[in-house]
Amino acid sequence: MNHAIAVAGALIGAGLALGGGAVGAAVGDGLAGNATIAGVSRQPEAQGRLQVIMFLIIGLVEAMYFINLALGFYFITSVANGVS
Amino acid sequence: MIFLAATPGTHPLTPICGNQYVNLQVIKFYYCAVTVDTLVSSAVAIAVTLAIAFFIASRLQPGVPSKLQMVLEFLLSYAKGLIGETVGEDATFILPIAATVGLYILVANWLGFLPLGFTPLLKPANSDLNQTLAMAIVVFLIVEGYAIKVRGLGGYLRYFMRPPFPPLTIIEEIIKPITLSLRLFGNIFAGLLMVYLLTLLPEAYAWTTPLSAVGVIVWKFFDVFFVGTIQAFIFMLLTIIYFGQVREGLEEEAHRAQAQTRGPAERVAATVTQS
Repeated sequence: MNHAIAVAGALIGAGLALGGGAVGAAVGDGLAGNATIAGVSRQPEAQGRLQVIMFLIIGLVEAMYFINLALGFYFITSVANGVS
Repeated sequence: MIFLAATPGTHPLTPICGNQYVNLQVIKFYYCAVTVDTLVSSAVAIAVTLAIAFFIASRLQPGVPSKLQMVLEFLLSYAKGLIGETVGEDATFILPIAATVGLYILVANWLGFLPLGFTPLLKPANSDLNQTLAMAIVVFLIVEGYAIKVRGLGGYLRYFMRPPFPPLTIIEEIIKPITLSLRLFGNIFAGLLMVYLLTLLPEAYAWTTPLSAVGVIVWKFFDVFFVGTIQAFIFMLLTIIYFGQVREGLEEEAHRAQAQTRGPAERVAATVTQS
C-alpha cells in the first residue's frame, strides 16, 4: 500500500514537472523565435547570423526541459525501487 | 527491444576496490566503482575522434582541401575567432581544450545514431552523468586555475566579494560545472529515454509496430543530428565564455589604476573618454 502511494505520488510529481517545464520551454522558444523574426524583418541580410544564434538559444532553453525530463525519470525509478 | 537491451539510467557498476558509497539520499555516490559501459563507449568515441584527427592530419592539402578538412578548419577558425573576441588574442591555450571537447562530444553524440542496443555494453557515452560531470569538472578546474593566474590569489578571492551579494557569486561559480554537465547529460539521456519509450509501445499494442519504427527513425535523426550537434557546440561555447568571464572587468581595473597614478586633469580626461 505504501509503495503504491509513493509511486503514485512520484508519477503525479513527474507529470507536474513535465507539464510546467513544457510550458516554460515553449514560452522560451517562442520568445527566441519572436526576436529572430523581428530582427530579420528589420535587417534581412543578418538572417544567417541570427538563425545560428536562435538555434543556440533554443538549445539552451530546451536543455532545461530535458534536464527536467531526465531527472523526473530518475526520481520515478529511484522512488519505485527505493520504497517497499 | 532491439534498440535498447536494458532500461536507460541503469549503468551497471563494477567495483574495483570495494563497494562503499556516500549516501546522498537521492543519488548514491559510489567513489570506488566504475560503470564499464560508459568507459567502453567513451573509449570508442575517443578512438574514433583520434582516428578522424590523425586521418586529416596525415593528408593535409594546403591548396585544395578535402571536404572533411574544410569542415574541421571552419570549426577551428570559428572557435579561434570566438576566443579572440571573448577572452583575448593572447589566450591561445584555450583553443585545444575547447575544440577537443567540442569535437569529442560531437563524435560521441553522433555515434549514438548507430543502434547500439544490439550490444548490451554500448550506450551513448554522454548519457551517463559521471562522464559529463568529469568533463565539466576538468573545464571548471582549468577555468579557476586561469582565474588565479590572471588575477593573482588575492585578486581571485577578492573577485568573489564583488558588490551584489558575496554568497550569490560563490554559488554562481559552483553552479557552473553542475549546469554544464546536467545540460549535456539531460539532453542525451532524454533522447535515449524517448527511444526506449517508443520501443515499449509495440509491447502494449501490437498494431503500433510500424508507427514506433518510423518514430524511432525520425526521433533518432532529430535527436542525434540536431540536438547532439547543438549540445556539443553549446558545451564548447560555454567553455570559452567561462574563460571570458574570468577576464571580465580586468581591463577597466587596469584603466582605473592608470588613471589614479596620473594627474587630476588627465584623470578627468580619462573619465570623459570612458563615458
